[in-house]
Amino acid sequence: MGQFIARRTGYCLLSLFLLSLTIFFFVRVTGDPAALLVEPGASVADIAAIHHQFGLDRPLWVQYGLFMWSLMHGDLGQSFYYQTPVLELYLSRLPNSLMLAAVAMGFSLLIGIPSGILASVRVGRFWDKAGKLFALLGLSLPSFWVGLVLILVFSVYLRWLPSSGAGTPLHLIMPAFALGWYFAAAHMRLTRSSMLDVLGSEYIKLARLKGLPEALVIAKHAFKNALIPVLTLAGINLVIMVNVAVVVETVFAWPGIGRLLYEGITFRDFPIVQGVVLMGGAMIVIVNLVIDILYAVIDPRIRLER
Amino acid sequence: MDSMKTRAANAQGDSGIQLTRRDLLGVAALGLAAGAPAVAAAAGPAGQLTYGIHVSMAPTWFDPAETQGIITPFMVLYALHDAVVKPMPGNSAAPCLAESWSMGADDKTYEFILRKEAKFHNGDPVTSEDVKFSFERYRGAAHDLMKSKVAAIETPDPQRVVFKLKEAWPDFLTFYSSASGAGWIVPKKYIEKVGDDGFRQAPIGAGPYKFVSSTPGVELVLEAFEGYWRKVPSVKRLVMKMLPDEATRLAALKRGEVDIAYSIRGELAEELVKTPGLALKPVVLQAPNWIYFPEQWDPKSPWHDLRVRQAANLAIDREGMSKALFLGYCKVTDNAVVPYTFDFYWQPPNAVYDPEKAKKLLAEAGFPNGFDTGLLYCDSSYANMAEVVVDNFAQIGILAKLQPIERAGFFAGYSSKKYAKGIIQGASGAFGNAATRMASFVVKDGAFSYGNYPDIDELFPAQANELNRDKRAATLDKMQQLVHDKAIYAPIWQLGFLNGIGPRVGESAFGLIPGFAYTAPFEDLTLKSA
Repeated sequence: MGQFIARRTGYCLLSLFLLSLTIFFFVRVTGDPAALLVEPGASVADIAAIHHQFGLDRPLWVQYGLFMWSLMHGDLGQSFYYQTPVLELYLSRLPNSLMLAAVAMGFSLLIGIPSGILASVRVGRFWDKAGKLFALLGLSLPSFWVGLVLILVFSVYLRWLPSSGAGTPLHLIMPAFALGWYFAAAHMRLTRSSMLDVLGSEYIKLARLKGLPEALVIAKHAFKNALIPVLTLAGINLVIMVNVAVVVETVFAWPGIGRLLYEGITFRDFPIVQGVVLMGGAMIVIVNLVIDILYAVIDPRIRLER
Repeated sequence: MDSMKTRAANAQGDSGIQLTRRDLLGVAALGLAAGAPAVAAAAGPAGQLTYGIHVSMAPTWFDPAETQGIITPFMVLYALHDAVVKPMPGNSAAPCLAESWSMGADDKTYEFILRKEAKFHNGDPVTSEDVKFSFERYRGAAHDLMKSKVAAIETPDPQRVVFKLKEAWPDFLTFYSSASGAGWIVPKKYIEKVGDDGFRQAPIGAGPYKFVSSTPGVELVLEAFEGYWRKVPSVKRLVMKMLPDEATRLAALKRGEVDIAYSIRGELAEELVKTPGLALKPVVLQAPNWIYFPEQWDPKSPWHDLRVRQAANLAIDREGMSKALFLGYCKVTDNAVVPYTFDFYWQPPNAVYDPEKAKKLLAEAGFPNGFDTGLLYCDSSYANMAEVVVDNFAQIGILAKLQPIERAGFFAGYSSKKYAKGIIQGASGAFGNAATRMASFVVKDGAFSYGNYPDIDELFPAQANELNRDKRAATLDKMQQLVHDKAIYAPIWQLGFLNGIGPRVGESAFGLIPGFAYTAPFEDLTLKSA
């Protein structure tokens, strides 16, 4: 077991190292951040001064080395634009993203699970087709469009909800729905297929043969077992939600890390982009590691695989 | 032209209030364009005015020492800080922290007498030591130039500060009052105590509003400074919310979540105009837009012929483009590079749109069927304008392919002379006067000059050191006239910056300072009585 954990941990560290290399070099391909910090036509000396201030005049391998050295000491660097430690910016925004992701996950499960169950018990009929259409729309409609429509309807026409920003539970509803709908589609499809698997099991047939009401068969016997893979996916999706809400957070001016990433990209703020991407990558890698370890604990065959 | 017709047709719109499937589909591309004219809400705490701004504020904007030559930091500077001399309504160099200023007989000395009642937000008086400190600390746009010109700064008493120049420099006040942040005054004692970082986190200035709090990228909160020398602001609290999405800004304005929304363009501006309770506040920026012909110095290029450049000038439908893209609020001055609000501005004859005459000129120049000019490079933010120009040129036979480039990359390429083949759609909102614009865009070795004309170049040094204002104006007029006559550029317009205000706003302070994009002076803002 120790060897298994060590091996998996090694893979995680390798993944993060490759991610750091990739994001470090790719972000520098986007252009010169100094050009965005001075007026057009600024003198060569002014631009050189900015390069020197941010260490951009050093060789790339030196910049990377310093970046990794800082990273190992828990320092994600200083934002070029905000002149604030990236870790401080990140941690100030992270609770907002966690809150948004949690509520979005709530919406996605509240919508996805019941609709998946309904689709599985009405296979080929109206609710199944409605569920498939719902899934298709959720996966294909762009979240910025969904967000704008929600603002149009619920803020502008109906005046029920605030259009943007944060501060009250009402501010959470629309961005959480816009973010959650995409994942609701995935949860709905997994619930449907998982329920269909379970409903075809021998013990379900036995329960029906015993004369149990169908509602009890579904709710008590089938549902709990069908839920296991859905919750596993939900756990992974929660971490993804925290990190991919860039468009939703920007449309709704939600002060989360997605919007921070958008600002970093807009201003070519290399430390912000590097920091947010690496923290997101670390979250996903750690969650996957924990899941792998849990699987290995539950199923010994997994930890004995080479 | 098709896109202009489409926009004109869409402007009629559907004014029904019922939500339809068409509304849902239409909003995909046009944001809130297909909206119902729901009356704008007039919410908001009493005594507070909320802005929805279109950019994220950098903490460097709180420190005048870091001011770059772009307009956006002044959005905050006018609220938090004050200057010795600065553009104000009716005066492009109004004494502010100084109650008066004078120039010495040797033309190398500028003496400012500071107001006794001018105070910083912590109650400390604004003194000559603070003025000297602010100048010496300044490291923003044009700091090298200014410091190279100033020999010494004397502070004979707390109310008097004397700048001694190394030589007579007619543009000293232009740079000190507007083209740099050197004249915006910060408290020496406070900064020496807290340091630069501390100052950025908790800035203290002498402006009409005090800093309360800032959440980077989210909002800035200010409150009225009761000790402001000019007048105590009637709006007691300002909240500036950063709302990067334009449609969201308009929605917030409609709901009354913000009272002023910066930068509402195109179809969204049309929607704003249709909404009862909201008002569109256009401001003509000090930002001329133009088409530049970098090939005009190449004898083999069609652009070398003056008639071809004149034809291009005649082919652009400026008024039509302004109506379609900016609801008609851009100002067509026909001066390519100098804004009409600038010192020493020369007013050319009116721009003419005459595609038939343009075709005749092209034929006379030997291009009866036009020609292919290659790429039209532009800042991607204004690709919509460039599309119309491409279309206008195509109508007379000049074919161009649009090459939009992300803003910073575009200006970097423009100034490094990368776009030597083809044509360029450019713009500049830089501060200064006609002379600084000639320096950057016309004369030899200018940052954006791809070539030069000796007869214009020889006039430049003559005006640079000319202290007689009338003589200097005559020389700069002559230079601008030559730029116009030689059709070095095809001027488009000065950009109209469209903003929205809600029903609570009394005086919005838009347009009080000519050429300034944002609301100022802040102490003139008012809210309507409840």
